[in-house]
Amino acid sequence: MAALADGLTAHARFGRVIDFADVSAQGLVKMFGPTRALSGVDAHFEAGHVTVIEGPNGAGKSTLLDLLSLLSRPTRGSLRFGKLDAWRDREQLRGSLGVLAHAAMLYPDLSGRENLVLFARMYGVPGNRLGKHVDELGERFEATGFWQRPTRTYSRGQLQRIALARAILHAPRLLLLDEPSTGLDVRATERLVETVQSERQRGAIVVMVTHDNLLTEKLADRRLRLNRGRPEQA
Amino acid sequence: MKLPAAAWLVFEKDLRIELRSGEILITTGFFALLITILTSLSFYLDDVIARRIAPGVLWISIAFSGVLAMGRSFQRERDNDAMRGLLLSPLPRPAIYLGKALGIFAFLALVELLLLPLLAVLYRLPFDGALGSVALITLLGTLGYASAGALFAAMGVRVRTKELVLSVVLFPLVSPALLAGVVATREVLGGATLNEVFDWLRVLLAFDLLFLVGGALLFGPLTSE
Repeated sequence: MAALADGLTAHARFGRVIDFADVSAQGLVKMFGPTRALSGVDAHFEAGHVTVIEGPNGAGKSTLLDLLSLLSRPTRGSLRFGKLDAWRDREQLRGSLGVLAHAAMLYPDLSGRENLVLFARMYGVPGNRLGKHVDELGERFEATGFWQRPTRTYSRGQLQRIALARAILHAPRLLLLDEPSTGLDVRATERLVETVQSERQRGAIVVMVTHDNLLTEKLADRRLRLNRGRPEQA
Repeated sequence: MKLPAAAWLVFEKDLRIELRSGEILITTGFFALLITILTSLSFYLDDVIARRIAPGVLWISIAFSGVLAMGRSFQRERDNDAMRGLLLSPLPRPAIYLGKALGIFAFLALVELLLLPLLAVLYRLPFDGALGSVALITLLGTLGYASAGALFAAMGVRVRTKELVLSVVLFPLVSPALLAGVVATREVLGGATLNEVFDWLRVLLAFDLLFLVGGALLFGPLTSE
């Protein structure tokens, strides 16, 4: 635990990120009208571990990610980020989350670099470090060759690189990845694996939804299998 | 980040995109000018009638072109699900709303800057203090309209019937602002001073305040599931 704390301190951290060592869900239920998307999910996600959520379509994987990303309120049950209640303290916690979703969540008329600068400002990266920090990300994700163009001109792989850079630019405590390898070629998938490994090493809590068995084999420390909104033994 | 700085960040982003694409200003500007020109050709009989018609033409142009601006401004948030990126960020929800409302207001105000002189020429309105008063009334009305529109357009990001939400829900709701705007403009063009239409200005101010504060408070709950 001490080594983990040292790792966290050593890594670039920004004002909005709150430290918590784990995320725990107990009896999590989510209803959409009469439809029960999650039916009492218990789960525990720890720092420095990658948890892969598996299951067939409609199992509740994306719903669980929505709850973890604080966009959606659990109908019942408890979701805690360390000692904080996820929904009650969501305003404080949002800066500690990094999310890579199906859609890139980037502005098509802005360049990749402009998007990263915008989100870096949102996440409180200080002005005097902003340019350097974003440029380092661009080099790390090998994006500097194309990132001055508007993102609407990007290939799927290029978009995903910028989206992944956006998800980790503030060194989040909880990194949520929803089908991160969709549409990626072999090189881009390798880069994704390296990034997730690096985030795990840094001490981030990583939760990933994927159907990609290769990605699961390479990255999963733990597996949580959902079926019809309930956990199954993986 | 403090609320004003966060709202400014959202506004600055919209401004940067608009400066690059010009999409909102061009589409709403042309639409507003088209309405003004076509109505002047249809309804102009003499100077007296023209002055009576001008307030209606002005506010119809603002109302319709405003819907275009609101729809377009939030369509940008739908593309690539960028709105989700905003909602996931630590920016305060009221700041996101205020930034978007400020953007819509600024774009509509710029369109009105073109529209008013054109209206004055086509409807032979005097280029005197009355036009300045009309500009003030227009800005007050536009602020409330943009504030209400930003709230309902944001709701539309998450529903498929966004145009329906804007046109069916928005217009009845903003009708007090539109009516106050039309009446105040009519009175001022008819020779009344701003003091004489102060009651209508108070209605506009109250509407602005109501929707700015209400929108800032409601934006969070309305964009959460």
